[in-house]
Amino acid sequence: MDSGPSFSPMLRSGNRFDQEAAHRPILSFEQVHKAYRSDAPVLRGMNLSIQRGEFVFFTGPSGAGKSTLLRLLYAAETVDAGRILFMGREVGRLRPESIPFLRRNIGVVFQDFKLVMNWSVAENVAMPLEVLGLPERLIRTRIGEALERVGLGGRGSDVVATLSGGEQQRVAVARAIVGEPALVLADEPTGNLDPQLAVDILGLFEDIHSTGVTVLFATHDRSLLDVRPRRVIVLQDGKAIDAPNGLDGDIEDELRVA
Amino acid sequence: MTSLQRAWRGGKNDWRLHVLSIFSVAVAFVCLAAALLVVVNVDGLRDRWARAGRASIYFKIETTEAQVRAIENAVRAAEGVTDVRYVSSDEARREVLGRGDQVLAALPAAAFPASLEVMVDEGTEGGKLATLASRVSALPQVESVETYQDWTERLASVLTSGVTASLVLAFVVLGAVVSVVASTIRLALQRRRIEVEVLKLVGATDSYVRRPFVVEGAAQGGIGALLALILLAVLYGIVRENLGGELGVLVGMQPVFLPWTFMISMVALGSLLGAVAAWGSLRRLLVV
Repeated sequence: MDSGPSFSPMLRSGNRFDQEAAHRPILSFEQVHKAYRSDAPVLRGMNLSIQRGEFVFFTGPSGAGKSTLLRLLYAAETVDAGRILFMGREVGRLRPESIPFLRRNIGVVFQDFKLVMNWSVAENVAMPLEVLGLPERLIRTRIGEALERVGLGGRGSDVVATLSGGEQQRVAVARAIVGEPALVLADEPTGNLDPQLAVDILGLFEDIHSTGVTVLFATHDRSLLDVRPRRVIVLQDGKAIDAPNGLDGDIEDELRVA
Repeated sequence: MTSLQRAWRGGKNDWRLHVLSIFSVAVAFVCLAAALLVVVNVDGLRDRWARAGRASIYFKIETTEAQVRAIENAVRAAEGVTDVRYVSSDEARREVLGRGDQVLAALPAAAFPASLEVMVDEGTEGGKLATLASRVSALPQVESVETYQDWTERLASVLTSGVTASLVLAFVVLGAVVSVVASTIRLALQRRRIEVEVLKLVGATDSYVRRPFVVEGAAQGGIGALLALILLAVLYGIVRENLGGELGVLVGMQPVFLPWTFMISMVALGSLLGAVAAWGSLRRLLVV
């Protein structure tokens, strides 16, 4: 008998729990267009579906639209046409005051870490929990757990500026997962790290994924894609080429032709 | 972590920036507080002189002592008069020359007419004193009657100008405080760009991000105003220490500092301006 915490979703009065919702994709891109310049669209009618609990690599050359795609997900950008559905909600139609609540379900890790350097590790990791207004004691407990998961247990009081690049990225990962989001986005998280550290960080994301979290990992580093076979989405010429079992020979040929 | 704690953390990290801002706000408020201090004292002086209840009756040179005594008795019997003192021409000369002014010593006797110094009860209405003065001045022996009404009117006019100047200054200060605090907060926001960006990315609402900055703005305005009052109080203390006695003798009252209500209002105004400036300056800068 499972004695763990039960899942009791908060529903608005009048809304019934929809069993089907659990089986719908966590993310759907439907005919998504995005252009910063009219003569050079970044995404051209992109269609894509990602299931709950998937680990997906996004790859492609610089400027292919990897970061744009992730920014569209957390509503830092808006689509020009088409729609993106996150947990059944259309991201582009959210009102500005609803966007923070969308973001509370998404953890984001960046290439440049985006850490407050003169704060302690714990202060940085606490940010998503403080925003939620959780009690101080619970925040401390969850920071401790998150730091343990990223291999920085007991380092909460260290000032971030004194950590190595790999450790700083681990702090950023801890911050992304401490709020237990449904989706973790990693935008070139290993771009500033040496190859061994990059593999370590990838392993960290795989650990996170093993707990049921959906992970979208954007990288242009092909060597990371070969570490373990995963679904790979290649962004090229504004379209998404889906390789469900990783980049095998056929896909490589297709990319070369394209 | 409360907004106050977050503001304290931000302020601690950018303390130099905040100190500069507070000093600039204080300079602006010193000007306003100094103008108000002058207005308060001029108002007090006008009040004091309006209630001074004094008149000087100057006699023509040919008036005899008997005529003077008769007029003195008549004035003494008038309603509200508490004391009458006769100052002869010689006494007036001695009083003036006693101050050692050699230029005045050359003046003729006519320049020092005999006079009656009339003291009226402070509760007496100004109109009654004016009536008494007009009756007395109609007497053929009387050269003129000075009731200091002109001075009161002049002071009232100075006061009106002072209040107008203070209002203009208040607007200038308002502009200066808003500008200084808004610039400081914008600068602080730039320095804490990453913090703000991350807060927005982890789901902080705009008001959650703004709150510590607004607290910092309010603190800058309030502390700036308080510092201005402290500076002014110190300057006031120095002036009063050195000149208070002479000023008291010269104008008939001791200078006073700003009332508590003014001081509390000024600090509250500083805080309010700082908060509004901070809120306004962040309105368009929180887009992530």
